[in-house]
Amino acid sequence: MRYLWWLVRRQPWRVLRGSLIGTAWMVGLSLRPYLIARAVDDGLRGRDTRALALWVGAIVVAGAGLSYLGIMRHRTMTFIREDAKARSAAVVLRQVSRVGAVLPRRAAAGEVATIGGSDIDWSAQVLTLTGPGVGAVVAYAIIAVLLWSISPMLALCVLVGVPAVALVVGPLLRRLERAESVYRKQQGALTARSGDIVAGLRVLAGVGGRDLFARRYAARSQDLLAEGYRVGAVNSWIDAATVAIPGLFLAAVVWLTARMAVTGDVTIGELVAVYGYVATLIVPVWFLLEGSYQLIRGRVAARRIVALLNLSPDDVGGPGRRGPNAVPDARRPDVGAAPDGPADLHDPATGLTVRAGRLTGVAADDPAAALALADRLGRYVASDCTWGGTPLTGIALDEIRARILVADHDSYLFAGTLRDILLPRPEAHDDARPEAHDDRIHAALRAASAEDVVDALPAGLDTVIDARARSLSGGQRQRVRLARALLAEPQVLILVDPTSAVDAHTEARIAERLRAARAGLTTVVLATSPLLLSRADVVAHLAEGRIVATGTHPDLLDEDPGYRHLVARDSDPAVERSAVAEGVHP
Amino acid sequence: MSRLPVAERHTVRRALRDLIGRHRRAVGVVLVLHSAAAVAGLAPPWLLGTIVDRVTAGASVATVDRLALAIGGCVLVSALLSRYAQYAGHRFGERAVAELREEFVARTLGLPVSVVERAGSGDLATRSSVDVSTVGTTVRDVVPTIVIASVQLTLLFGAVFLLHPLLGLAALAGLPSILAVTRWYLRRASSAYLTEGAAAAELTETLTTTAEGARTVEALRLADDRIQHGTTRIARVWRARRATLALRTVFFSVVEASYPLPIAIVLLVGGYLLSRDMVSLGAVIAAALYLQQAIEPLDRLLQWTEQAQRGLASFARVLGVGLVPPEPPGTTAESRGERLVVRQARFAYAGGHDVLHGIDLEVRPGERLAVVGPSGAGKSTLARLLAGIDAPRRGVVSIGGCPVTDLDPAERRRRIALVTQEHHVFIGSVRDNLAFAAPDATDEQMRSALATVGADWYADLPDGLDTALGDGARQLGAAEAQQLALARLVLADPHTLILDEATAALDPTTARRTERALAAVLVGRTVIAIAHRLNTAHDADRVAVLADGRITEIGSHDDLVAAGGAYAALWHSWHAHAHADERPR
Repeated sequence: MRYLWWLVRRQPWRVLRGSLIGTAWMVGLSLRPYLIARAVDDGLRGRDTRALALWVGAIVVAGAGLSYLGIMRHRTMTFIREDAKARSAAVVLRQVSRVGAVLPRRAAAGEVATIGGSDIDWSAQVLTLTGPGVGAVVAYAIIAVLLWSISPMLALCVLVGVPAVALVVGPLLRRLERAESVYRKQQGALTARSGDIVAGLRVLAGVGGRDLFARRYAARSQDLLAEGYRVGAVNSWIDAATVAIPGLFLAAVVWLTARMAVTGDVTIGELVAVYGYVATLIVPVWFLLEGSYQLIRGRVAARRIVALLNLSPDDVGGPGRRGPNAVPDARRPDVGAAPDGPADLHDPATGLTVRAGRLTGVAADDPAAALALADRLGRYVASDCTWGGTPLTGIALDEIRARILVADHDSYLFAGTLRDILLPRPEAHDDARPEAHDDRIHAALRAASAEDVVDALPAGLDTVIDARARSLSGGQRQRVRLARALLAEPQVLILVDPTSAVDAHTEARIAERLRAARAGLTTVVLATSPLLLSRADVVAHLAEGRIVATGTHPDLLDEDPGYRHLVARDSDPAVERSAVAEGVHP
Repeated sequence: MSRLPVAERHTVRRALRDLIGRHRRAVGVVLVLHSAAAVAGLAPPWLLGTIVDRVTAGASVATVDRLALAIGGCVLVSALLSRYAQYAGHRFGERAVAELREEFVARTLGLPVSVVERAGSGDLATRSSVDVSTVGTTVRDVVPTIVIASVQLTLLFGAVFLLHPLLGLAALAGLPSILAVTRWYLRRASSAYLTEGAAAAELTETLTTTAEGARTVEALRLADDRIQHGTTRIARVWRARRATLALRTVFFSVVEASYPLPIAIVLLVGGYLLSRDMVSLGAVIAAALYLQQAIEPLDRLLQWTEQAQRGLASFARVLGVGLVPPEPPGTTAESRGERLVVRQARFAYAGGHDVLHGIDLEVRPGERLAVVGPSGAGKSTLARLLAGIDAPRRGVVSIGGCPVTDLDPAERRRRIALVTQEHHVFIGSVRDNLAFAAPDATDEQMRSALATVGADWYADLPDGLDTALGDGARQLGAAEAQQLALARLVLADPHTLILDEATAALDPTTARRTERALAAVLVGRTVIAIAHRLNTAHDADRVAVLADGRITEIGSHDDLVAAGGAYAALWHSWHAHAHADERPR
């Protein structure tokens, strides 16, 4: 509720204007029945052409005025809602951008999609109440006064009757919506199925089974058809009731008024006006009813938005972020704790020491242990790791993020041109000329052996790639990730399984070029591939949570049988061999 | 990329005619019922007019009572009739939508894979989701609304004509401005609303992907970049919404200002006619009320026309899928033997230059051939030619002496299976996911197939083969999904398997488990493996090295290592330790 109020307070003048115009419009709606009644009474019945022309002119002018008010109301309210939506989107955007690694664990991406797709809209919708909502109350009061002047008895009937009808019809419409929502859900499931078939078309082309899928889809479609018939049978009754109930009420009011006309208590013109008022009164009453439902939904939506905004970053120990607007600056003089230049990283948990300026390979028997190691070295968790003797937790997190990069093997690729993906912050580099950027990009692509990825794209670096780079193959994605990590040029680069999806030819090239690209810089490669490890300055063997051996790749191959077993085969040789042995041999 | 076709206007028109023709009776019933309901709905204003006339003439209370009762009766009759009309319309809509979507899926399933790949599966996915449901909503909701509104309007204006022809003409005189502005609006609305929808979807996508990639945002310090990116998206949504608002501003203000025009003109003309005693006061009042009543259906009609227009556009795209010629049934179903032979095969993707330059290859039944080579050498293209997904531009790929592309597609898939790194778990039960490869397989065979590929997770499934998989149900991991795909292969039992980097997209641990499962499937089949790990090549009977679309080396692993070519160099660097000939254990 406080959030919704905040959205209102951000635009007080606009909201005030919305209320005024909304009120004027609603009141104006009741004008037409009155004018028609006068035209009938004074003009037609009195056979007075001038009076008729006057009142007809008034009807046209009032129509134009009303249409002006109507559209101004719509415009103002649209701006109020859009302002609220844009504001909500902006705060949500800031939050999801800043909160960091905690987000995927604490909130499902689907939740953010719901917030972005509908919650923001729902909470903005509530603001409609500020315009026509206020107007509806005023209009209701004015019609009450007008009716009262015709006949207090009629006024009572109408003023109580219309809301009563709305209260009867409203819930019926809700039921309609619910019945529809069951149908829509089933329809959504069927749509998902056809999407599923499209997504799996290549699989079906590979092994067959198309007829079966067509039949199965048709069966589901017929189920939906049956559900549709059922929903239709119920809904058409509800629909009929929502038309019949107000209609019958109107008939009753006409009847009462007509009897009064016979006795001369009301004029013929007033008879027509009452007919019009009843129809007009439906509008404000309806607005209020709708508004109350919107308020309920909007509050739920606002609560979800606020829950997301209240998420706080992970506790990684030590001083946290410097606040949402801090500009990360690697070389701020007041952060004295961090090493000034390249320094050794040490992880007491495993006993690993990463020498500054060297290429270190870590072969872990358990991939989970490798990931945990990367998390500790990059301070994604609190740990006892030190950097140049200083505990990582004692260094400003921004500084660590600026200087140590953990490149996960499944790190996320955002949508955009390949150039933007590779070099998202070109201004961060010293040489800001565009040609310099392209040179840098080409150098990184070469190091990652990813030139062919660019060559295969229709517009090269300017080709727009969708999120997760789904249009690229697994190997291409991996090389793009590697190139991006290299382009970030961190002092310490920790690569997790950087070549698991590329073929041996390419892997050999990458191993060679990676070394050159990171010459003089600290690099850690967590992998078990002999092609990569053989290029490392030093290799550490991580077994059962501890570093059990350190040395060059050939040394370890000779001296550490566990290491030999681990790296000599990326997959299990025994199984491969047996498969061939059992195969048909010439 | 060559996009999927979109149906021409006359094709759409013909399809619509066919649709209505097929449901001639239903459409007729709906129209008759709606007309009857609308006629009953016309009675109240007319009765009110009558009341006015009678009261003016000094009628009794009893007369008024009767007339008022008649109004109530008409309301009830109209509601009843419209209920049945709506129900009939609803049934027609449901049936028509079901027909359309089933036909769409059948057509989709008949599309040649190469066409889908060339057009990008995104286009087809959009058609299957957005367009099919847009057409559905249009047929189910929009068309009935428009039909009802049109019937009501026709009858309302007709009633005014009946009261007096001059009143009718007067009523029509108020309409031109509405028609003009509607034309203006419709010409612009669809594209503006589509832009608005796309902008909103992009913003949601930005928020969602930023959330999904939150760790990467933190690692690469992309927060400001993401915020900037999102801010431009928010601005774009704002602009798009302003554009549609501008359209509505013109449209609604003209339309709403026009609504009282027919009423005003009718009152003036009515006054004139009344002064000549050509009509009664009641008739003029009834006419004015009819026109007041016409505002609502007119409003509805105008608001939904834009939707209907969008529905037509979607319909054209849905029909477009049917315009692609389906996969040819193949000329022969018969072929002798299992020997795969490639002779001088050349291949180019549409508009490009050759990626394969005269490949010659022979694969003996039961042989295991590994194909290695750098990325972009044409390995995957060769796999597709061998599987018959693409036909060579020149030369021939044959099995048992018969070109693979001449085989009936179903038969071809039964014999040669292509396994890629793409795996897809279909929504449905485990059984559903297995059965399509071998419709006659028993539960026992399915369970043993799962056991063969080492899918030990199967034991943990709550409902066994009936466990639902996919969206909202149990999600399989990458390795599990690949095992499921392999179990499918065991059931399909093709004699030839083409593996295109089947495990490349998996992380190393998962890949290891999957390769173990794979080994079980390979037993007793001809296998062509596009290898990504050299050990696969090492264990194969023969190795073919592909470079720049040509086979540069072919022979057993030992021969190639002995020959000292590119393969040998690679093997040595991979083995990179002192004793190259000592096999690691």
